[in-house]
Amino acid sequence: MQRPIVCATRGGQASRRTQEKAIALAKERGANLIFLCIADPSFAPLADDALEAALSDELTRLGRSMLYIAQARARKQGIEATAIVECGPVWDKIEGFLKDKNAQTLVIGAPEEDVMLQAFGAEKIHKFVERIEENTGVDVVVVT
Amino acid sequence: MNSFIETEAIIVILMLVATLVAIVARRISLPYTVSLVLVGLFMSIWRPLDVEVTPELILALFVPPLVFEAAFHLDFKLLRENLTPILMLAVPGVLVTTLLVGGIVALGTGTAIAVTCTFGALIAATDPVAVVALFRALGVPQRLAVAVEGESLFNDGTAIVVYQIALGAALSGIFDPVEGVFDFLLVSAGGLTIGSVLGWLLAQAIARVDDRLIVTTLTTLLAYGAYLVAEEVHVSGVLAVVAAGLVSGNVGLSKTSPTTKIMLFNLWDFLAFLSNSMIFLLIGLTVDLPKLWEQIIPIIIAVVAVLVSRAVVVYGISFLISVLRRRKPHIPISWRHVLFWGGLRGAISLALALSLPSVLAEREMLLEMTFGVVLFSLLIQGTTIQPLLKRLGLIQHSDPHLARETKLGRLFATHAGLKALEKLYHEGLLTSEMWNGLRQDYYETQGQLIDDMNQLFTEYAALEREMLLKARQEALRAERGALGDAQRRGLISEHTYEQLRTEIDLRLEALNMIYASTQKGWKALEEMQEK
Repeated sequence: MQRPIVCATRGGQASRRTQEKAIALAKERGANLIFLCIADPSFAPLADDALEAALSDELTRLGRSMLYIAQARARKQGIEATAIVECGPVWDKIEGFLKDKNAQTLVIGAPEEDVMLQAFGAEKIHKFVERIEENTGVDVVVVT
Repeated sequence: MNSFIETEAIIVILMLVATLVAIVARRISLPYTVSLVLVGLFMSIWRPLDVEVTPELILALFVPPLVFEAAFHLDFKLLRENLTPILMLAVPGVLVTTLLVGGIVALGTGTAIAVTCTFGALIAATDPVAVVALFRALGVPQRLAVAVEGESLFNDGTAIVVYQIALGAALSGIFDPVEGVFDFLLVSAGGLTIGSVLGWLLAQAIARVDDRLIVTTLTTLLAYGAYLVAEEVHVSGVLAVVAAGLVSGNVGLSKTSPTTKIMLFNLWDFLAFLSNSMIFLLIGLTVDLPKLWEQIIPIIIAVVAVLVSRAVVVYGISFLISVLRRRKPHIPISWRHVLFWGGLRGAISLALALSLPSVLAEREMLLEMTFGVVLFSLLIQGTTIQPLLKRLGLIQHSDPHLARETKLGRLFATHAGLKALEKLYHEGLLTSEMWNGLRQDYYETQGQLIDDMNQLFTEYAALEREMLLKARQEALRAERGALGDAQRRGLISEHTYEQLRTEIDLRLEALNMIYASTQKGWKALEEMQEK
């Protein structure tokens, strides 16, 4: 059984290209594909617990909708993908998820996606790729 | 009683006219405030309404809600980021404008410099309502919008203070610069302090009483109360309202529930709309065209003086800032052009001109000059700012956004057309062959539009995310409406309704925050592409 390919996406500018790349890789390698979306409400630190919970929940729902769309697109190309939304700090969650699923490849989008998501500067992406490869041994594909 | 009914009738007529103008202005793409002035001018020819515009009416009744609303919505973080240019334009900028306009008008008309400096001060207050409305509609960079709005908020206050000092000098013939500076600092700082304290007190009250009706009433009290208290102790009422709005909007708002926030925003949007409508309609109604024509030469001199001084202030201060703050963000050249041409004059200048005492021999001339400058700025600058923004490439509603809107609009229209045809078919007005033929054609058009949208989303994937956000907002609003219906029909209690509505309001607030972060992303993306 091939280790899965994880495509981390949050609907930024490069997300469609990122998903297409992940689908193509899954087809080519015959691997399972997982679309992963991390809902991270930390971009707006809030004192109000109820609002923070609503923000978290809405980000999760938005992520779920986007991943359903990605799943449907993969299905059209003959790939049955899994969609998972998790909540928390983006980088830590992705790293934990990759370890947990024993993934072979991570596909992420950059640099436009960086701008849309604010937290993903080009330098940060580079550092993240290094960190993931070092800590998990997972091969990272950055789609621009 | 009769005069009360007459006043009420005038208010109703003015509101009706303002609403009609708002509807028409949307269709003809003319700034709303400019349209109001034009309609007011048109109405003034026949003088169907006997309206006396007093300075108190404008300053004490219409200006507080306008200023408060703008300050209330202004993000303190953004304001702080732009504080240097804003304060430079609003303090030294007003002083330089006063002296330059005063000097040029004195030279051109032969009037005493003390009198023309009074005119320079009253005309120094910018009123960018028409410009800011355009900014919002066209999506110009947020920092530029904050700079224009921030400058206007603060220079309203400083211009009034300088005006009072200049007028005192014009009437007495004595001007002590030291006393003038002291008065300026005292009146400005006094107003800002009173407003800040009252705004902070309101923020504390909001934190303890989160009841939407009480909080909205308190903000109304604050807007007018801050003005009245400050004026009562002879400090700047307008600056007090600015500070009160800023503090309560930035400190107090974070402590309110989304339900209260929505009600507050709606109320202040409405009050600002109403005040603006009244002010600009009254400006038009008050202008006496024959009198204006009699003073055409001084008016031309005044317009030239105002434009020259604005150019000196904007370009000079921007240059100074870029020299002094080499490593910090400066004002881009294109923004300087907008700040120059967007420095419209309006309500405050007019109110101050109307408050000129009748003992001042040149009162009539100064009044007509003010009307002339206000009309020029509204009718010429106000109507040409949009092409300028386009030419400078400052309109940020990007091509992909516009393409999505066009396709979405066509989809809506096609869907409505299909529904209408279906209705005709069910009513027996279309045969099944006709219906099938037409339906097929509509389905093909719909299919093509959906394919086009998909293509657009492939190219600009972030648009899809935005679309999902907007769809979710629409769905939540529909859910809130359904809850209201259920409560009215007695299916759920008031308590349950309030609880569920608060939940939806929280979700709407959360979506607004997500949407705002997306918008920041678009702007960053476009800035990156520009570089």
